[in-house]
Amino acid sequence: MKIVVCIKQVPATTADKRYEADLTLDRASVDTVINPLDEYAIEQALRLLDDGNVDQVVYLSMGPEPAGEALRRALAMGGDEAYLVTDGALSGADEWATARVLASALDRLSPDVALMGMASDDAKGSLVPGAVAAMRNVPLLSYGAEVWLQDGKAKIRRLNAAGYDIIEAPTPLVVSVTDQVGEPRYASLKGIMAAKRKPLETWTLSDIGLSADELHGAALTRMTSAEPPRTKPPTERIDNVAPDEAATRIADWLAARKLI
Amino acid sequence: MTYRLTRDQDELRAVVRELADERIAPRAAEIDATSEFPWDLKELLAQQDLLGTCLPEAYGGTNLDGVSQAILVEEIARADATTSLIPIVQKLGALPIIIAGNDDQKQRYFPRLASGEWLTAFALTEAAAGSDVASNRMKATRDGDDYLLNGSKRFITHGSIAKVITAFALTNADAGGRKGMSAFIVETDTPGFNAPRIEHKMGIRGSPTAELTFDDVRVPAQNRLGEEGDGFKIAMATLDHSRLGVAAQAVGIAQGALDAAVHYAADRKQFGQRVVDFEAIQFMLADMASQTEAARQLVYAAAARADDNVPDLPYWTSAAKLIAGDTAMKVTTDAVQVLGGYGYITEYPVERMMRDAKITQLYEGTQQIQRLLVARQLLARSGVPARP
Amino acid sequence: MSNDIFFLAEFASGTPQRSALELAAGAVGLTQQSGGQAVALAYGAGASGGAAGLGAFGASRVVVLADDDRPAITVAPAAAQAAAGCLVLLAPATPNGRDIAAALVGRLNLPAFGPVTALSLDGSTLKVEQATLQGSVITVSQPADGAATPSVVLVLANTFTPIEGGSGSAEVSEAASVADDPLALARVVESRATEQAAVNLEEASVIVAGGRGVGGAEGFATLEELARALGGAVGASRAAADAGWVPYQLQIGQTGKVVKPALYLGCGISGAIQHRVGMQTAENVVAINKDPDAPIGEFADLFVVGDLFAIVPKLTEEIKRRKGGGG
Repeated sequence: MKIVVCIKQVPATTADKRYEADLTLDRASVDTVINPLDEYAIEQALRLLDDGNVDQVVYLSMGPEPAGEALRRALAMGGDEAYLVTDGALSGADEWATARVLASALDRLSPDVALMGMASDDAKGSLVPGAVAAMRNVPLLSYGAEVWLQDGKAKIRRLNAAGYDIIEAPTPLVVSVTDQVGEPRYASLKGIMAAKRKPLETWTLSDIGLSADELHGAALTRMTSAEPPRTKPPTERIDNVAPDEAATRIADWLAARKLI
Repeated sequence: MTYRLTRDQDELRAVVRELADERIAPRAAEIDATSEFPWDLKELLAQQDLLGTCLPEAYGGTNLDGVSQAILVEEIARADATTSLIPIVQKLGALPIIIAGNDDQKQRYFPRLASGEWLTAFALTEAAAGSDVASNRMKATRDGDDYLLNGSKRFITHGSIAKVITAFALTNADAGGRKGMSAFIVETDTPGFNAPRIEHKMGIRGSPTAELTFDDVRVPAQNRLGEEGDGFKIAMATLDHSRLGVAAQAVGIAQGALDAAVHYAADRKQFGQRVVDFEAIQFMLADMASQTEAARQLVYAAAARADDNVPDLPYWTSAAKLIAGDTAMKVTTDAVQVLGGYGYITEYPVERMMRDAKITQLYEGTQQIQRLLVARQLLARSGVPARP
Repeated sequence: MSNDIFFLAEFASGTPQRSALELAAGAVGLTQQSGGQAVALAYGAGASGGAAGLGAFGASRVVVLADDDRPAITVAPAAAQAAAGCLVLLAPATPNGRDIAAALVGRLNLPAFGPVTALSLDGSTLKVEQATLQGSVITVSQPADGAATPSVVLVLANTFTPIEGGSGSAEVSEAASVADDPLALARVVESRATEQAAVNLEEASVIVAGGRGVGGAEGFATLEELARALGGAVGASRAAADAGWVPYQLQIGQTGKVVKPALYLGCGISGAIQHRVGMQTAENVVAINKDPDAPIGEFADLFVVGDLFAIVPKLTEEIKRRKGGGG
């Protein structure tokens, strides 16, 4: 059983992010991390590896050259090898283009399970796992709070409004996980040292059989402007007044906005 | 030696800092308040392979360079001085074996020290012989293939929780401490070994400092390090290296206090502006930062020389510990000043850091002993003959 | 390409989810610009029986994709077949909605837009507005030139208001059958209800949310009373859900629910980024926190520094009094 964990390098949540004049995100100067939700996918994969349900854990990322760092960090947590798809034509890739690239790369790696975080910090659609499944013609189990693998099938526990469902599908498939699978481990020192010797291969688009043309300039969407939000009035404050007075003033505030 | 950190060293700092920020710093106040040894954090450090950094890879260690080891201690101490003692003392207790141990001894002890399964300690100091190591009194008497150890030790960090300690005892009382002392690896579950008392301390409160008593403790001769009479030499060589751990700890404490002071001054408003906007505060912070950086650089310079085991190593490591310890004391005291009244209460970490800092001027040789060691090297270097 | 605006309409026990009614209103709004029809893609248990009812909310046609309670993703192949070529497809920004939307994007190579704050048509060009970077930037985007249709748009609850009192009827049809498809293989093998009653937090127009500062399950009982007085629901930060004070179904944030209520009242919530992305589009944000420097104070509309345990019960009383007095 082989798992490929798809990870993305993103700016740290604490980083001060802004758009450049060309409406691409300025990532040059900010700290980067593995997309925090992808760390849960890594943790889930490594737990399955630790438990002997999986023989091999491979990482796959798409991004500029420095995204190799994220793969090294993942390898330091565990796993066997990593692949980075990097190509100038991928700058500004949207979720569709990202899915397209991952799907083609996964075709080459042919995993039993492609595992992903449920969302990326810097793309709010959560569309990549489902799009990859559809492109590769494999089932999707999404938003897993727990994942099991057995007898050519994967199962997840997924929350619903009233409780949870256990959902099952045959491999090969795509699985996405939430932050309930378990806290990601820290890389150990030996893990970090070992990661330096693990294979990390870089692929271009042509290595995965895609051409820049097929990717429509890496996006099917186009941003036309990025502006600060319409200025809203500054925060009104009620500082340390008696509870009675605070309650009255909050109620007044709500009433003035017809919220009660 | 290169005069800047390598990528690996930068990466190690980032990794340890994340661990310290997320897992160690949140425990620091509680460890201090309860004076309880943080077993959970010991497990964490063990799990992350951070307790065998001074040991060879062949025995399960990671054999990091000296600067990396300093960075490790520094980053942990930045969050909590008590917890930083776990790797510091693990190295301190192992150093006599590193320096004088034979293959059999290394094989028997290093793997479980490297994994953190066993904690270790270094038992040299006695109640009546602190800085004056040569007047130690504990005895080891040969009895067939064994030695019987009798006497007591005091101020032994982790003495009560270590599985293995390296202890120093006179095998030849007539020859005195300098010539008649030998070093032994003692397993603390041996009958006759006791830790009857834990000190109540000003700082590093979660780290048990124990009095140890030895009552006919039987130690096989194969656990003697080096030859009989090598003890003093082994102890001094150990301290020449180990004081780097304390120096790195001091830098970490100073950095922690500086960071807390900057953070506070940036948040706190007085007289309609941020405290950090007052020039008087900026000057203090600038001094604290500059002094901390100077201490750090000296510690790294010494650490790099420790890897090479240079002949004048005591000059470097004593100077580093002297400067770093005094810096930690000054910077933490200044941090309390920057925080004002808030600095004096336990709601903020700087009063703890100030209490923790004091020990770095005391243990592994007081600052006065460090000065003597630096002076001795200085005079030798300058061709000034020793006292007639 | 048609001018029709499609939307996903999820059913449970024969009743359309509120998201279906809201998306119907959004679709109708766009058809007024496009000149096409608002078409529902209905799925979920009881979809066949309830489908015609969507007419009253503005749907001209309803295509029933499936009438069962299989995982939502299993209807994606039928949805892809039915929606191909329409102008815009609106999907609820819920896990089920996102699954279907994602599969459509992958199957038909469609442009997709994450949760939008507003959308309109400029001729036949879709323009969407989104809040990004923790709401610090509002972006406007559109499909790239030559991109296929439909554009897939994720919509948060409370973005549109359902059309009330409509009397239209919708033409209902079954989706054309699709060949066996791997996406249809997922199946539910077990379902468990937790002891807490089901709450559809995304649909609440008032949310009283509690965080670490609420201190425990008892604290949440206090919030519950305030929520009841306001006619709203209780939500929570991840810290509170992780602590077991409330079920994860109530968690708001990046890995929980993304909500857009008219009023969000946060109690003892610091306002970490991960929570903020789940509630930043709330229309009115009130925060009660004892820490005057809590980050939530920087983006709340009203920030009350004080002890929530003292203030919340008083506020509950005050609201009950006013509501009682008023009617």
